[in-house]
Amino acid sequence: MSSSSSSSWRPAVAAEVILSCKANALRSETRGMLEEKEKTSSGPRRRWLVDVAQWRPSPAQFQAAATLLPPHDRRAIARFVREDDRKRALVSRLLQYSLIHHALGIPLHQIRINRTLEGKPYLQNKNASFPSFNFNTSHQGDYVGIASEPMCLVGLDIVCISNPQRETALEFISSFTSYLTDHEWNCIVSSGTPDEMLNEFCRYWCLKEAFVKAIGAGVGFGLQRLEFHHVNWTNISLCIDGEEARKWRFWLFKLDAMHLASIAKGHREDATDSFKRTFPDVVVQEEELNTAVEIPEEAFTFWSVEQLIQLQD
Amino acid sequence: MAHSLAAAVSFSPPAARRRPPSQVTNAISSRGLVSFNSQRMSFVSIRSRPSQLRFKICCSAKKETVDKVCKIVKTQLALPDGTTVTGESKFSELGADSLDTVEIVMGLEEEFNITVDETSAQDIATVQDAANLIEKLVLEKAA
Repeated sequence: MSSSSSSSWRPAVAAEVILSCKANALRSETRGMLEEKEKTSSGPRRRWLVDVAQWRPSPAQFQAAATLLPPHDRRAIARFVREDDRKRALVSRLLQYSLIHHALGIPLHQIRINRTLEGKPYLQNKNASFPSFNFNTSHQGDYVGIASEPMCLVGLDIVCISNPQRETALEFISSFTSYLTDHEWNCIVSSGTPDEMLNEFCRYWCLKEAFVKAIGAGVGFGLQRLEFHHVNWTNISLCIDGEEARKWRFWLFKLDAMHLASIAKGHREDATDSFKRTFPDVVVQEEELNTAVEIPEEAFTFWSVEQLIQLQD
Repeated sequence: MAHSLAAAVSFSPPAARRRPPSQVTNAISSRGLVSFNSQRMSFVSIRSRPSQLRFKICCSAKKETVDKVCKIVKTQLALPDGTTVTGESKFSELGADSLDTVEIVMGLEEEFNITVDETSAQDIATVQDAANLIEKLVLEKAA
C-alpha cells in the first residue's frame, strides 16, 4: 500500500482500481471479460454502479426501460415527483433485477423482491446454494449503486457532497450534531476549512448509513450509538454503544470529486429481527462468515443503463 | 383529560370525515349516553355531548398546520413552484433522503417550537403524519 498523502483518506489501491475499472466497463469488448471474472471469483458477490447523469432517456425510452420491471415497481417509480428521482428509482430497481438474474441465474419474471416493515428490500425466492444472499442499493446525485453478498450482510451508501443551499457548511453540519458522537464531532470540526469539515461529516454519515442499511434498520436506529474510528479513512472500525463491533468491516470510496460510497459488511446475527426473519433457518459457519467479511473490497464495476438492459437478455 | 377533550371538540375534522348531524345523532344514540333519551332520536349539539363520548378522529391536523408543513418541505427540498404537495404526499416520493428528513424535522421543530424524538420521527411517512405529530406535540406542550 502506498503511504498516505494529504488527501489520501481513501485506500490508494482501491482508487486506482476504480478508475481503471471505469475505463474498462465503457469498452463493450471487455464486458465479457468482466462478466467471466465476476462469475468465477466470488459467486454472487457484486459491486455495481451506474452514472445516471449519463443516461438522458426520451420519455419513450424511459417507458421502455420501465416496462422491463413488474407493474408495482412501475407504479412506485411514477409516484416520484421529480424526474431525477424517477430516473434513480428506475435504475435502482433495474440494478436489483439485473444483479439477481446475473448472479443467481433466476429468470427475470420469477424474481420476487419484497420489503421488510422498515423498507429493506430482500429476495423472496428460496435459494439453496446461497441462503444468506442479500443486497443493498443506494442512490444520490449522479450515481445509483448496488452491492450483494452470499454470506455476510452488506450495506451500501452513496453520498453526494454538495454545498448547502440556504446555510453555511457549518450551520448545515450543526443540524446533525445529535447523530454524531463527541469524538466524531471533534474530528469533524478540527479537520480544517468548512469544505473539509463538510467532507468529513459526509464520510461519517455515509458509513453510518451503510451500517444501518446493512442490518435492515430504519430511521429510528439511533445513529449516535455508532462511533467510527479510522486511520486516514482506512482500517475503519465501528463501536456500537461503546463496544467494538469486531465482526464488522467498512470501506470508503471516492467515486469522483463530489461523490462518496461506503460499504459495510458484517454478521447476519446483527440484522434487525424483521430482516432476520427473511432468511431461512440455516446455520452459518462462523469461520466462513468471518472470511467473507474480511475479504478486502475491490473496485465497483460501472455499467451504463443500456448495458444493464442488455444483461436482462 | 379536560384539555385534550376541549381540543378534540374544537378540532374541525377534515372534510372527508365530516358527517351530517343525523349520522352524529345515530352514533350518539348507539352509545346510550346519560343525558340522551334513548327512545327518541333527537339532534344533539356538539356542545352538549357528554364527556364519555370520544369520536375516533385520530387527531387529524388542521389545514393550517398541513399547509405550513407543505411550505417547509417545499423549501427544504427546493421543489419547483407549482409542485403539488398535499397531506398525502410522501416525503420519499418528494425526493427527501435521510439528510433532508433530518433537516425537515428540525425546520418543523423550529417553526412550531416543539421537540421531536427519533422514534416518533421514524413513523412520519407523509406530510399529514408530520402535521398530526406536530399538533399532538403542541397539545402536549400546552397541557
